[in-house]
Amino acid sequence: MSQTITIDPVTRIEGHSKVTIQLDDRGEVVDAHFHVTQFRGFERITQGRPVHEMPALMARICGICPVSHLIASSKAVDDIMAVEPTPTGADLRRIINLGQIVQSNALSFFHLSSPDLLFGFDADPAIRNIVGVAQRHPELARDGIGLRKWGQQIIEWLGGKRIHPTGIVPGGVAFQLTAEVRDRILAGVPEAIAATERAIAWYKHDMLRWEEEAASLGNFRSAFMGLVDREGNVDHYGGWIRMVDADGHYLADKLDPKTFNDYIGEAVEPWSYLKTTYWKPMGYPDGMYRVGPLARLNVAEKTGTPRADEELEKFRWRVGRVAGSSFHYHYARLIDTLHAIEKIEQLLRGPDILDKHTLATAGINRNEGIGVSEAPRGTLMHHYRVDDNGLVEWANLVIATGHNNAAMNRAVLQVARKYVKADRLEESMLNRVEAVIRCYDPCLSCSTHALGQMALDVQLLAPGGVLLAQIRR
Amino acid sequence: MSRVLVIGYGNPLRRDDGVGPAVAARVAADPRMRGAVVLAEHQLAPELAADMAGADRVILIDAADGVPAGEVGVRVLGRGPMEEPASTIGDVDAGGPPLTHHVSPASLAGLARELYGVAPALVVVSVGAASFEMGEGLTPSVDAAVPAAMEAVIAAALEVADA
Repeated sequence: MSQTITIDPVTRIEGHSKVTIQLDDRGEVVDAHFHVTQFRGFERITQGRPVHEMPALMARICGICPVSHLIASSKAVDDIMAVEPTPTGADLRRIINLGQIVQSNALSFFHLSSPDLLFGFDADPAIRNIVGVAQRHPELARDGIGLRKWGQQIIEWLGGKRIHPTGIVPGGVAFQLTAEVRDRILAGVPEAIAATERAIAWYKHDMLRWEEEAASLGNFRSAFMGLVDREGNVDHYGGWIRMVDADGHYLADKLDPKTFNDYIGEAVEPWSYLKTTYWKPMGYPDGMYRVGPLARLNVAEKTGTPRADEELEKFRWRVGRVAGSSFHYHYARLIDTLHAIEKIEQLLRGPDILDKHTLATAGINRNEGIGVSEAPRGTLMHHYRVDDNGLVEWANLVIATGHNNAAMNRAVLQVARKYVKADRLEESMLNRVEAVIRCYDPCLSCSTHALGQMALDVQLLAPGGVLLAQIRR
Repeated sequence: MSRVLVIGYGNPLRRDDGVGPAVAARVAADPRMRGAVVLAEHQLAPELAADMAGADRVILIDAADGVPAGEVGVRVLGRGPMEEPASTIGDVDAGGPPLTHHVSPASLAGLARELYGVAPALVVVSVGAASFEMGEGLTPSVDAAVPAAMEAVIAAALEVADA
């Protein structure tokens, strides 16, 4: 007889996902899945659209990382137009993309993960939430909100709108930066750096408390993928794909992102609408890899900015040159944020950042285009085919959460094996299953947000679907 | 009118989930709402607590599941400064931190109270949804309810102005 435990967040989890844990006759965990039951429909609604509308449409998919889709989509249309954005246009895209990284990383760390870290994974959920953080550690909560707001302001001031910005267009950006806006953003840099460094200092001081979690929450060998620049440093906007193995050896370097279909495969599983990507030379499922902040640090030589590089050195001293535990996504996310802030400042102080040439124009010069960039959660790929009139015939989005899908399933299985006890649904298991998913910060912010729906439903099912136990949150 | 904040939120690519931003757009264009701050958001996020801190009354507009399509509901979560908001709708994320990036209305009120020492009256105007399928545009019954929802928002806002 086998049993299945289902953790089913019915709604408000972006993308409607759930977790099932499969037990065998002896009550031992044999398999686990992180299911995503909605996402792919967005590719359908692009068909027949003028390709120039794609960036603005794609930005509306997601309330958390609209800029990431805007960037990857604009790059895909650049490719279709066979056009290279002007240097200033590209730098302004970089800045807005980094603003997105800052605000999204802040949401993940301060809002979603800090309650577990501050209060402990088994603390009373009535306290272990964002309001509890605000009550007990208001300075940390304020820092998180401050970073969010600063990142959002960059998007709003440059992109025109905070939520679904429109300033980034095929060919570059549709605006010229003024000295006034540049200086307004620069004025916020010192506090943004200070807030991030306060969080890093606290994290480093407390991280010994979480040794057990670091050892058991998604701690396994895998490859890592990310974009790097010509020096091999972190690049959130362009550059080349690098893939390293669990020991840091290059599986491949300087791969052209536009040829990703040659080396990245997509598997479809019956239990999820989210495609699972894999490194083709190793096949599926062995070609599992991870993306996102941890992967960016693992694949790169350095970040390329001084404060972040100093922290990266300490990070590697503490967790190794290639950090294998998914728990270290939290630490990596903070360093990624620090680098993003420093990089924004560097770019804003560039001599040509106020240049009026921000947009290159062209028509439809190819029927196919690919755009790749680093989103907060990892590498994002947009691939379009259009007809000669520029109407979209087909689109494929490979999102960071898809790259991490195989690794998330591995992580959930590892946690379940450690914490699931026979036929009982224990809080400690549930807390850690949620915690390991939070490490990856899966963003499927493309679902509904209606009132009146439950947040989390955990079910223990016997064969045939008989409900043995249930926890609702 | 001053110190009224209206936030309509939802995903406009998920049919009726976009009713919040649609109502917010109508509210922003209404001359009776001159002076109010009206935002259209994809979802609620923590930094909105800072915006709430500068308001006497916050009116949230969202789609609702499980009620008849087009039915407009108005519920008051908090009534005055520093009053504990009732958590009857979208409870504080009391089950521990969620997996989602969304913040509940009550959590947002809690953040404003804890971090900024203010608790504006919080009103939620909801509209029953018929479809959350992928796609643009409201279904007819929900679209027809937009004027009533807008009037409910304006009535809640004018209560403050008259006070």
